[in-house]
Amino acid sequence: MGGYQFRWDVIPQNIDFLLSGLQQTLLISAITLSLAMLGGLMIAVMDMSRFAPLRFLALAVGEIIRNTPILVQLLWIYYVLPVAMGINLDSWTALIVGLSIYSSAFIAEAYRAGIQAVPKGHREAAQVLGLSPVQTFIRIVLPQAIRLTLPPLAANFVQLIKYSSLGAVISVGEITRRGMELSSSIFRPLEIFTFIAIIYFLICWPLAMGIRLWERRLSSR
Amino acid sequence: MDASAVGEQPESGLIAARDLSKSFGSVQVLGNVNLAVTEGEVVCVIGPSGSGKTTLLRCFALLEQPTEGVVTLRDRIIAAPQLPTDIRQNAKAARGDIGMVFQHFNLWPHFTVLQNVIEAPVRVKGDAKAAAEANAMRLLEKVGLADKRDQYPSRLSGGQQQRVAIARALAMKPSVMLFDEATSALDPELKHEVLLVMRSLAEEGMTMLVVTHEMGFARNVGSRVVFMDQGRVVEDAEPAAFFASAKTDRAQRFLRQMQD
Ligand SMILES: Nc1ncnc2c1ncn2[C@@H]1O[C@H](COP(=O)(O)OP(=O)(O)O)[C@@H](O)[C@H]1O
Ligand SMILES: [Mg+2]
Repeated sequence: MGGYQFRWDVIPQNIDFLLSGLQQTLLISAITLSLAMLGGLMIAVMDMSRFAPLRFLALAVGEIIRNTPILVQLLWIYYVLPVAMGINLDSWTALIVGLSIYSSAFIAEAYRAGIQAVPKGHREAAQVLGLSPVQTFIRIVLPQAIRLTLPPLAANFVQLIKYSSLGAVISVGEITRRGMELSSSIFRPLEIFTFIAIIYFLICWPLAMGIRLWERRLSSR
Repeated sequence: MDASAVGEQPESGLIAARDLSKSFGSVQVLGNVNLAVTEGEVVCVIGPSGSGKTTLLRCFALLEQPTEGVVTLRDRIIAAPQLPTDIRQNAKAARGDIGMVFQHFNLWPHFTVLQNVIEAPVRVKGDAKAAAEANAMRLLEKVGLADKRDQYPSRLSGGQQQRVAIARALAMKPSVMLFDEATSALDPELKHEVLLVMRSLAEEGMTMLVVTHEMGFARNVGSRVVFMDQGRVVEDAEPAAFFASAKTDRAQRFLRQMQD
């Protein structure tokens, strides 16, 4: 196996720089998840609206987002939006906006699936007893739907941690970008990117396992 | 079909369907049903699967809107093909006054037994929580489940769940109770406990419209038997007379099949 001399000491020497990137990664993921939970709710509500143009808009937005690559969406927001619409976003904001819109489309699906999983009979029982449609939604449907939606939301958080690495392409200083910067100054890409991959794995894998257990517990109820 | 077999009902039934028809798309499921239930009566609706029994009950429960005809409660129209404001208001006032028990219980799984029972009185009637709980405990006592008040429905047997569902409906102090095959989803040994509760309700004078396959219940507890087929009321008779000698071939054939 070649004669490459691994020099792992470059990691502790630059750990502060790398961890500041990790901090950005987690911050960006958390902000994006919060925004996408709201955005997803908006899309889901539009989707269930009685007003056809709103439903159409939600459908169109969802389809476009789900059927174009996230990297192209980010590049479009960062490079095309200023020219096409005169909207200039710094790279950090562009990443947040792009990831939020992207996640909103998927989270809206999770909300909708959660709401549809509540049996019709539960709503009808409420209706016969005299609960209003709003009361029925808030008291009967939503609490059940939220339980079913939490695991997909957590899964989305894992996605966001990984997808935020795309910010590197538009020079957002998250951990992947920090790795690129560091490796071009000290020429140790093997050690650096191996370390970064391990960091991603150590964060995402336990989360993913936890979600799997959680879902199994929900479905066995 | 001889219309005379349907019989004349007093106009003043507590709850009544008048010339009620219901279609889904181009498929007619109920055709010109007339059925009045007077106060204190226990009317048992029987008939083959697909004959429209559930749809009829759902029209009474205001879960389906008639395509033609009306549903009345104390001679007030509560359901009709069109819904002008006064009928809407009647319907709103009637909710809760018409209790329904479903084949599959439909308890709310995220609420305990007690929470299931007090939800509507508290949210709809605005009852104080303590009063609603006291009333709920009295009802749970009655269906024999007071000790399960803090359990979640998933921990209960089907028969227990259905008895909670009955208590939940009774908590709104309805004038009439609708039962849609309340025991069909239950194992034979669990049917009995639910039928007993229904029987004691009948004996207390509750007005009941009961869709059932339990011929014993219809014969012994029912004050009238209504036989439906293909969306129509084919016979409407005293239980003793109906089970001794049903007038129509269709009803006789149905009764023979039930015996096998
Ligand atoms: N929502 C619906 N849409 C279309 N057809 C329906 C609907 N509900 C019931 N039906 C049809 O109406 C007929 C009567 O159904 P139902 O009232 O459930 O009969 P029963 O309770 O006597 O078995 C059946 O053929 C059924 O398929
Ligand atoms: Mg049925």
